[in-house]
Amino acid sequence: MGRGDAEEVSPPVSSPELEQDDGDDDCYLSDQEDDALEESVLQVLEDGHLEDCHWSSSSVITKEYLLGAQKEDLRKMIELLGLKEHHARTLLIHYRWDVERIFELLDQKGRDRLFSEAGIPLRSTSNAGLPSVTEVTCNVCYDDVPISAVSEMDCGHNYCNQCWTEYFIVKINEGQSRRVKCMAPKCNAICDEALVRKLVSAKCPDIAERFERFLLESYIEDNDTVKWCPSTPHCGNAIRVKGDIHCEVECTCGRQFCFNCSSEAHSPCSCVMWELWIKKCRDESETVNWITVNTKPCPKCHKPVEKNGGCNLVACICGQAFCWLCGGATGRDHTWSSISGHSCGRFTEDQSTKTEQARRDLYRYMHYHNRYKAHTDSLKQEAKLKRDIQWKISISENKDSKIKDYSWVINGLNRLFRSRRVLSYSYPFAFYMFSDEIFKDEMTPQERELKQNLFEDQQQQLEFNVERLSGFLEKDFQNFADDEVMDTMKHVINLSNVVDRLCKQMYQCIENDLLYPLRTPHNIAPYKSKGLDRASELHICLDSAEQSSQSMKYSHDEHKTQPGLHSNESGSSLLGKRPILPLHGSSSDNSGRPSHKRERKSGGALFDLNVPAELADKS
Amino acid sequence: MVDVSRVQKELTECNRDSAISGVSIALHDGGSSISHLTGTIAGPQDTPYEGGTFRIDIRLPGGYPFEPPKMQFITKVWHPNISSQNGAICLDILKDQWSPALTLKTALLSLQALLSTPAPDDPQDAVVAQQYLRDKSTFLNTARYWTEAFAKSDSTGMEEKVQKLVEMGFPEDMVRSALLSVNGDENMALEKLCSS
Repeated sequence: MGRGDAEEVSPPVSSPELEQDDGDDDCYLSDQEDDALEESVLQVLEDGHLEDCHWSSSSVITKEYLLGAQKEDLRKMIELLGLKEHHARTLLIHYRWDVERIFELLDQKGRDRLFSEAGIPLRSTSNAGLPSVTEVTCNVCYDDVPISAVSEMDCGHNYCNQCWTEYFIVKINEGQSRRVKCMAPKCNAICDEALVRKLVSAKCPDIAERFERFLLESYIEDNDTVKWCPSTPHCGNAIRVKGDIHCEVECTCGRQFCFNCSSEAHSPCSCVMWELWIKKCRDESETVNWITVNTKPCPKCHKPVEKNGGCNLVACICGQAFCWLCGGATGRDHTWSSISGHSCGRFTEDQSTKTEQARRDLYRYMHYHNRYKAHTDSLKQEAKLKRDIQWKISISENKDSKIKDYSWVINGLNRLFRSRRVLSYSYPFAFYMFSDEIFKDEMTPQERELKQNLFEDQQQQLEFNVERLSGFLEKDFQNFADDEVMDTMKHVINLSNVVDRLCKQMYQCIENDLLYPLRTPHNIAPYKSKGLDRASELHICLDSAEQSSQSMKYSHDEHKTQPGLHSNESGSSLLGKRPILPLHGSSSDNSGRPSHKRERKSGGALFDLNVPAELADKS
Repeated sequence: MVDVSRVQKELTECNRDSAISGVSIALHDGGSSISHLTGTIAGPQDTPYEGGTFRIDIRLPGGYPFEPPKMQFITKVWHPNISSQNGAICLDILKDQWSPALTLKTALLSLQALLSTPAPDDPQDAVVAQQYLRDKSTFLNTARYWTEAFAKSDSTGMEEKVQKLVEMGFPEDMVRSALLSVNGDENMALEKLCSS
C-alpha cells in the first residue's frame, strides 16, 4: 500500500464538484444534509471536555520473566523493611503483593503485628535453643536423632529433617505451598522456603519443583494487579496492570479480555452487567418465560399449545380439546361463552397481572437482545468484509489512477469494527442500567426516564453514523472514477471521526451521568479510541530477569561438582548472591531486544540487592 | 504410610496413665490394623456426661501424623458440636489446626474438654445447638439421659423398661425411640406408644 503518499492526498473538504453528485446514495440523507450533520456533530464534540481520567498500563509477563517481574516488589520489602528474602516473600504473599497496603498497615498496626499476622517470626532465636548435646528427641517421630539431622525454623522450633521433609511433602501435595506453617502446635510462623527447597528436593525433586512453581506463581494467583491470560489453550502468559484495573487488554497471544473479570472485552457494559447478561442469554430463561406466558400444556400429550384466536375451547393437534382458562380436558360441544359440562373459575386479577409483567419483561429483553445480536452478528462478518475490502483495494491500487493510498479504507474499517463492538455492548448495558434488576431504588422513575432518553439519544446517533460508515465502506470504490473515490474517502474519514467522538461521548455520558451518581460504585473500562491496549513486553525487568535466570544457570554449573547442593543454591540465588554475569556477550545479542534496554546495565555488574534500586540501576 | 513406630509409642504413652487422664486407645475391635483404633474418654465431672464412657472411632490417614486423624463418636452423644446422627465432630485441631506435634492423646483430651465446654456458636448439630442456647434445662436433661442410655454399660434400668414395653407387644425400635423422646419416663412412653 502506498502509505508514503498519505500526506499528499488530503481530502479536499470544500470542493464544489464533490458535493454535487451522490446520486447512488439514496438510502441515506442527501449529501448536503449529511455534511451539515457531520460538521455539526464534530463541532459539538469539539467543545466537550475529553480528558482521560483513567490511567492504566499493562505488560505481559511470560514464564521466563515471572521471577524478574516480582523482583521489584521483593526488593522494596527487603530494603525498606530490612527483611530477608523469604520473609519478604511471605509478607507479600500474605498481603496479596499490595506494597502500598503493606506500608499503610505498617503505620496502622506497627511492625510487630504486621509481621506476626503474616507469619514472620519477630526475632530469629539464636541457636542457643539447641543445647550442646549430640542427640535430641524429635517431638514428632519420638526418635532420638543426632543434632546434625535436626533443623530449626526461624520461630525457634526444631524437629528432625525426616519429619520436616514428610510434612513439607504432605503440605505441598495439599496445595499449601505458599503457606507452609511450622509444625509446632499454634505456631503461626511460615517455614523458610530455602529449607523446604533443600529438604524436599533431596527426596522428591519433582515435588520441590512444584513448590518452586507455586511460590513463583503466587505473584499471579495472589495478586489483584496480575492475572493469567484467559486464552485457551493457555498461552502461558500473565498480564500485569498498573493503575486502574478496570481496563481491557490484549495479550501478546492476541487474546483480548476485560482485565477485571477475565471474560471477553465488554465495555461499556460493566462486569456485573455482563455476567448477568451472558447468563441470561445462556439460560434461555426468556424462551421458557414465553412458553409459560403464551402456551398451556395439552392435558393429554403435554405438548405446549399456543392459542392463536377463537374461543376458550382449544384443540391440540393430538385431537384433545381443553379449556384455555383452566387447562382441563373437556368435550368438544361448546358455545362462545361456555363449554358444555365444564365450569371453572375465571382468571383471577393476580394471575393476569403476573402474566402481563412476564410478557412485558420478555418484550423488553427481546428488544435489547435483538439489537445486541444484530451488531454481534455483523461483527461475525468482519473477516469476510475485510477480505472483500482488501480485494477491492488491490484492484484499485493496480488501476491507472493518481490515487495510490487506500489506508483510509482500512482505518475506516477498523473504526467500524471498534464502534460496532461498543454499540453491541451498549445494549446489555442499557438493559440493566434502566431496569430494577441491579439498580433498584437508585433512581426515581422520572430520573430514569430522563437519563434513558439522554442515553438512547446518543446511542441512536452513534448507531446512525455507524451504519452510514458501513454503507460507505461497502461501496464498490474500485469501479469509481477518481473524484468519486475522493468523495467516498472524505465521507469515510469524516464519519470515522464522528463515530470515534460519539463513542467517546457515550462513554462519558455513561461514566459521568449514569454510573457516577450511583450510591454503589460501578466501574467500566474506559474507551480507547485506538482499540484495546496491547500489553507491552515487560521492559523494566527484562535485564534483571535474564540475569537471574542466567545466574541460576550459572550457579547450577558452578556446583555441578557438588551434587545435592545445587538445587539449594539455585534457590537461594533466586534473588540473593549472584555470580558475575557475562551479560553482553554473544548470548544476549541475538535476543532481539532494543539496544537502549541493554545499555542501562551495560556494566554487567554484580547486582547487589543491598544497594538501593536507583543505585543498582546506575552501577 | 502411617508411621507405625510413632503410633505404637503413642499407644503405650497414652495408656500408661489412662486411669488419671480418663482417656485410652486400643486397636479397633481387637483387630490388627494400626491405622484403625478406638479411643475411650470418660465423661468429665460436673457435666451431663459425667459417669459415661464414650467410644470414639479413630482412623489414621496414610500421611499421619502429618495429616490429622479422623475421629468420630461411636457412642451417641447429645452435644452441640457432635452430630446426634452420626457422631461427626466439629473441632479445629482435627481439621486445619492440626499439628504433627499433637498426638492422639492430646486430641482425645481436647474432645474431653469439648464435652465440658460446648461451643454452640460453631455447631455441628444445629438442633442441639438451638436447644442449648434457648432451653438449657431441656438440653441438660436430654444430654444426661443420652449419657445414661448410651454411655453407660450398666444401663440396666433402661433395658428393663424396654423389656417391659416390648413384652406389652410394641416393637423394640419404637419403644426405644419413644423412651428417648420422653427422656426415659416409662409412663409417658407408654402413653406415646398407645397414641401413635
